[in-house]
Amino acid sequence: MEKIELKKVQPHVFRGRDLAQSNIWGNEVSFKKEKFYLIEANSGTGKSSLCSFLYGYRNDYEGDILFDNENAGLFPISRWVELRKHHIALLWQELRLFPELTAWENIQIKNKMTGFQTDLQIAQWFDMLGIGDKRDALIGRMSYGQQQRVALIRTLCQPADFILADEPISHLDEQNSRLMADLLTQEAKRQGAGVITTSIGKRLELNYDTTYTL
Amino acid sequence: MNLVWKLLKQHISKPQFAGFFLANLVGMLIIMLGIQIYNDATKVFDGKEGFMKEDYLIISKKVSTLGNTIFKQSTSFRDDELAQLEEQEFVEKVGVFTPSNYKVRAGLNLMGFSQMSTDMFFESVPDEFVDTDKKWGFKEGDHFIPIILPRDYLDLYNFGFAQSKNLPTISEGLATSVTLDITIRGNGKEDHYDGRIVGFTNRLNTLLVPQAFMEWANKTYAPGKKVEKSRTILKVGNPADQNLVKYLQNHNYQTDNSKLKASKTAYILRLCLVVVTAVGVVICLLAFYILMLSIYLLIQKNSNKLEDLMLLGYSPAEVARPYQTLSIVLNAAVLLLAIIAVLFIRNAYTGKLEAFFPNYEGTGLTTTLLVGVGLFVLVAVFNHILVAHKMKSIWNRKD
Repeated sequence: MEKIELKKVQPHVFRGRDLAQSNIWGNEVSFKKEKFYLIEANSGTGKSSLCSFLYGYRNDYEGDILFDNENAGLFPISRWVELRKHHIALLWQELRLFPELTAWENIQIKNKMTGFQTDLQIAQWFDMLGIGDKRDALIGRMSYGQQQRVALIRTLCQPADFILADEPISHLDEQNSRLMADLLTQEAKRQGAGVITTSIGKRLELNYDTTYTL
Repeated sequence: MNLVWKLLKQHISKPQFAGFFLANLVGMLIIMLGIQIYNDATKVFDGKEGFMKEDYLIISKKVSTLGNTIFKQSTSFRDDELAQLEEQEFVEKVGVFTPSNYKVRAGLNLMGFSQMSTDMFFESVPDEFVDTDKKWGFKEGDHFIPIILPRDYLDLYNFGFAQSKNLPTISEGLATSVTLDITIRGNGKEDHYDGRIVGFTNRLNTLLVPQAFMEWANKTYAPGKKVEKSRTILKVGNPADQNLVKYLQNHNYQTDNSKLKASKTAYILRLCLVVVTAVGVVICLLAFYILMLSIYLLIQKNSNKLEDLMLLGYSPAEVARPYQTLSIVLNAAVLLLAIIAVLFIRNAYTGKLEAFFPNYEGTGLTTTLLVGVGLFVLVAVFNHILVAHKMKSIWNRKD
C-alpha cells in the first residue's frame, strides 16, 4: 500500500461542529509511505477516532478513506485482517495489552502470528528500552510507562506500510522517549513505512515531514 | 495458538461444563439406549413370528349352538360386512381366508413306520399377508405344495400322541425336511402331490397353502362351488385400539385374545420406548442449551480480549476456533462415553433375553451409532455457526 487519502472525512459526532481550525476533518489529506506525519490535537478533537477509522475498527464517519484509491469503508473483514497483519500497525493509546500474560507473551501473541521478528531481535529491543528484566513480568504488574514500551515493541512485530502511534510517550521521560523515537525511526526507515503519530502536548521527536492540527 | 488459548480459557466455569457434560451424557444415553432397546425388542416380537407380519389379527364369527349348529346359520362373512370392515379407520388391509372345497388327505412315511394318513383341509390368505423367505407360491403344473403349520399341531403330536404311543418325537427341523404325501380328490379326480412344511406359526390356527394353489385347486377340484369366507385377516395400525376392540364386540366377531394381548404388550412397550426416547431428546436439547449458554457467557466475559485479538490481526474464525474445538471435544467425549455405556448395558440385557428366547439374535448397533453420531454432527455444526456468528458481532461491535 502506497498512500492513504482522506476525502472530507469527519466523524458523525462532529456533524454541525465548526471544524475550520482542523487541517484534517473535512479536508483532503494524503499520507504517503516513507513520510513522517505528526498530528497535534487538543483533547476531544477525535484523535483516537482517526486512528480507529484508519485501522478499520470504527466506521462512523462521513466522507471517504481511500487506501491506494480503494474505499476502505467497503473492505470486508478478511481484507482488514490482512491489513492488520501485514500493512498497518497501530500502537493504541490505551495499549490493549493482555494483563494476564507476561510482557514476553504479549509480544509473542503477535509475533507468532506474523513471524516477522526473531526472538533475538525482540530481546535486544527489550534491553534497549530498559525493560530487559521485565520480560517475564505480568503486564498487569508493570507501570504504564513500561507497558507503553512493550506495546511499541509489539507494534513493530509485523510488516507495515504505515505505523500509527496514538500518543505513544504520554507516560515516558525524555530519555525513554528518545529511545522510542530512535527505535521507531530505525524500523520505519528499514521497511520504508510511513509514520503517523498523534500528540496532545508531549510529542515524539521524529523528523516530521508534515504536521497537522486536528 | 497456545497463547490465544491461555487467554481465552479465562473465565471457563468448570461447574457449568460439568453440568452440561452430565446432563448431555444422560440425555444421549437415554436416546441411544431407547433406540437400541426398541430395535432389539422389535426383533424379539417379530423374530418369533418371522413369516406373519406384526399387527395382524385374524377374526371369525362366534359359533353359537342355537344359531349355527341347530339353525345352520352361516359363519361366513358377507360381502357387505367385509366392505364395512375395510372402511374402518383402524383397519389398514383386509384379507380373506379361502378354504379348500375339495378333499385333502395327507400321509406321512416316517423312518420305516407304517404310513399314517389323515383327512385334512387347507386354507390360504393373500400372499401379501405371508412374510416368509422360504419358497412360497404355486404355478399350475407344479408338483410341490409349500405348507405352513400351526406349531400347536406339532406339540399335540409330540407331547400327546407320540408319548402315549411310544412314537419318536419330531423336531421342527425334522418336520420341515419330511415330504408329505398329499392326495387331493374332487370333481371326479384324484391327484398326488408332494407337500413340505416350510414353517410353523403360533398365530394362525390353520394349514396354510399359497393363495395361487388354492385358487387353482378350488377351480380344478370343485368348480362352481361357492367359496365361503369364514375367516378374515386384518392388518391394523394399533392392535390395542379401543375402537377396534369395541367394533369386534359389537359385531360379535372373535379373535384370539392372547394374541391381541401380545400385540398390545408389544405396542405398549414400543410406546413407552418412544416416550422415553423423547424424554432423552428433551434432556439432550436442554443440555445443548446449557452448553450454548455457557459458551456464550464465556465469550461475553472474554469479549474485550477477543476484540483485542482481532485488533492484533487475528481473524474472527481464528479466535472462534478454541470455543468451537472446546464444544466438539466435550460433545465427542459425551458421545464416546454414551456409546461405551450403551454397549455395556446392552451386553447385560442381551444375556437375559437369550435366557428367555434361545433363538434371540439382536439387531446391530448401526442405527444407534448413526443416531448418536448424527446428533453429534448436528450439534457441532450448529455450535460452529453460532460461535462464528458471535465473533462477527464482536468484530462489528454490536454487543
